[in-house]
Amino acid sequence: MIRASVYIITCTARNRMRQRLRRLREPRYLLGAVAGSAYLYFAVFARMRMSSDVAENGAVRRRRALGALLPGLNASGPALFGLLLLVVAAASWVFPARSSLLEFSRAETQFLFPAPLTRRQLLMHRLLRSQIAVLFGAVIMVFAYPGTSGGGRFRAAAGMWILLMIGHVYFTGVTLARAGLRSAHPAGRRIARAPAVVIAAVTAIVGLGVAREIAARPVTTFREAVAALATVSTQGAPQVVLWPFVAAVRPILSDTLEEFARAMPAATVVYVALVLWVLRTDRLFDSAAEDILDRHAREPAKPAARYRALPVGWVLALTGRPETAFVWKGALQTFRVIDRRVLLRVVLVLFWLSAVVVLVPRARGFAQMIGVLTAIGSGFATLMAPQLLRLDLRQDLQHLELLKTWPVRAASVVRGEIIWPALVVTGIAWLLGAVALFFSAAVFSSTEVGWRLSLGIAAMILTPALVFAQYTIHNATALLFPAWVPAGSGRPRGVDAMGQRLILLGATWLLLVLFLAPGAIAGGLLWVAFYRSVGPWILVPAALVCAVIVAVEVLMATEAIGPAYERLDITSVERPE
Amino acid sequence: MAIAVEGVVRRYGSFTAVQDLSFAVDRGEIVGLIGPNGAGKTTTLRTLCGILKPTSGRIVIDGHDIGTAPLEAKRRLAFMPDEPHLFEYLTVEEHLRLTARLYAVSDFEARAAALVEELELSGKERSLPGELSRGMRQKVVIACGLVRDTAVLLFDEPLTGLDPIGIRRMRDTITRRAENGAAILLSSHLLHLVEEVCTRVIIMDRGRKIADGTVRELASRADLAAAGSSLEQVFLRVTGHDPTPAA
Repeated sequence: MIRASVYIITCTARNRMRQRLRRLREPRYLLGAVAGSAYLYFAVFARMRMSSDVAENGAVRRRRALGALLPGLNASGPALFGLLLLVVAAASWVFPARSSLLEFSRAETQFLFPAPLTRRQLLMHRLLRSQIAVLFGAVIMVFAYPGTSGGGRFRAAAGMWILLMIGHVYFTGVTLARAGLRSAHPAGRRIARAPAVVIAAVTAIVGLGVAREIAARPVTTFREAVAALATVSTQGAPQVVLWPFVAAVRPILSDTLEEFARAMPAATVVYVALVLWVLRTDRLFDSAAEDILDRHAREPAKPAARYRALPVGWVLALTGRPETAFVWKGALQTFRVIDRRVLLRVVLVLFWLSAVVVLVPRARGFAQMIGVLTAIGSGFATLMAPQLLRLDLRQDLQHLELLKTWPVRAASVVRGEIIWPALVVTGIAWLLGAVALFFSAAVFSSTEVGWRLSLGIAAMILTPALVFAQYTIHNATALLFPAWVPAGSGRPRGVDAMGQRLILLGATWLLLVLFLAPGAIAGGLLWVAFYRSVGPWILVPAALVCAVIVAVEVLMATEAIGPAYERLDITSVERPE
Repeated sequence: MAIAVEGVVRRYGSFTAVQDLSFAVDRGEIVGLIGPNGAGKTTTLRTLCGILKPTSGRIVIDGHDIGTAPLEAKRRLAFMPDEPHLFEYLTVEEHLRLTARLYAVSDFEARAAALVEELELSGKERSLPGELSRGMRQKVVIACGLVRDTAVLLFDEPLTGLDPIGIRRMRDTITRRAENGAAILLSSHLLHLVEEVCTRVIIMDRGRKIADGTVRELASRADLAAAGSSLEQVFLRVTGHDPTPAA
């Protein structure tokens, strides 16, 4: 089977490379290849040409600076990241996600499932196939790593690779075990439950340690919270039970080749143990494989996402604006792919965490931590989510053949496609922003309440403006340059495609600045004129003026790009690989 | 005329898929559009319903030019493609409801119930496309096209994936719509179906219209007389695939 796997992998890689070279004849891919290559050169090779000492010292300096900011990070970095890994591992049981290792392509299902192969061999094949993808992912992540030496990059790439593989195999095990929980045999259910019990026990031991630490010493600042977690994870029983998690992250955090060489064997042991655990769950894999086969048999097209016909509680009225029909369609798409039980669990966990840090004055430091993290999350959702959540024309271009037959004004189509994802992103950013605002007293204790509230409210007002502006730009790009924006959820890969995305990202940000400029100038003028008399509260009307101007621009832009939709030719739409 | 096509040309880069095509379809007519693979049938249908813009030429749907009054023209036509394009996250009933909303169908509930019955979709109303067979999905596309009253119906291989009972029902459905006054243009490789159902046939090859008329008219044409009287024989002769030499 290994030979067959290697054959499939090499043929796929060779043909893909040929295809990518062939498409360089198209100017957009050539331009993308130039941009992508330039990025790689400046991000990696130019830095590699720096003296390795300078680069190494830079990395160490940065870590020391972070350590000074958060004491305990230098000495207990691996333990803290191991703790984070435990949280992710535990969360995978509460918020289930399907492992991509079990996602066989249709060709694999048709060729390999009827072949005389055991389930274990099939899993081995997927493990082998995933190595290249994971390795490529690790190398790409390392490219984004701040400047360091060639040796440092190698260590980071290898460390990232083993960490990603551990994660990959672990999530596969969880997926299989979850399938086993539905087993008809009590013994099968017991086997499936065992790893969940182990993770729960480890979490309980560490949680107990954290509670004891808070009881012994009040945690009033973010720094103290980090220090407390560092203390817990490097002492006693928590240190013992966290060992596999710490071992997994240690290679990527190693500063020297010697440290790396010492860390790799332990990480490899964890990886091998996980592989053995997954391969030994053959019986469970059968039930998961049945699910996969069944799904592939029912879904002839490659499923972009698995939807379930859940009732959403919104029946589309037979009359009204066409935009509402698009919003309804988007809402159904969202609520049929998101498990509402998982959503409820997220809210419960957030509520529980918030309640604990509010009710326990000794845990004030954790309030700071939550405040900072949710503020970062809100900013990320506002600025990056419109790039990632493509429930708009970028995805619906794959249904262009249907959309084009509808008797709906082009501007209404564009607006309808934009509204729902923009509302979702705004909602997420508002939720996180509200939590950050709630904990702002702990994070910015030296800042006046007037400033905190006015800044928070102004940010909330500006959030929809920023989000709608970005969605307008993304959809305008999809209509004006359809060949640059792949339809559906899949994306072309390769250096040329990466270059294309970089060019598009740069153009989007530039357009966003231009889009916001009139509103920002108007808001700024209001600030200059009234700050002395009104104080920080002037931020709120300034943000309101800016948001209204952006809203008008969005309306005008959607009308203006209507003709582009009318002109859009189905043959010019880019199909994903 | 419900459909009027005047000198339509459609090019993909340097390749001409449809060349100087002109024809008309009146209300109550069922016109079969046939031709070998790559003849330009699907491009013609896609151009007629506004998915593709013609490179040149004019298309009028029930009195509305699809180039200058696209919304009015689109309201009056329904296109049933060969490949069922459905939203993976909407159920059968929701697809029908969405269509009814976009086309302002007033008596949706009654129409939907009758169509579900007619197309044998009963019990599948709450199913997602992923849970349906290809034939069933094809029926959903057809149901979306028929849930509203339209002057023009365009079918591209409407029988693909249907079982024999489904084929018979679909044939009856198409005939009934024509009797009720719809103009129907139907592209299919099933020549016996075209011969049985269509009142007129247009044969295309390499983007051009090479024959237009009833099967009897075509069979009696001097250059085709030797081919025989069936549509299949006429088709083979007119497209140059008939082994028997011309008379």
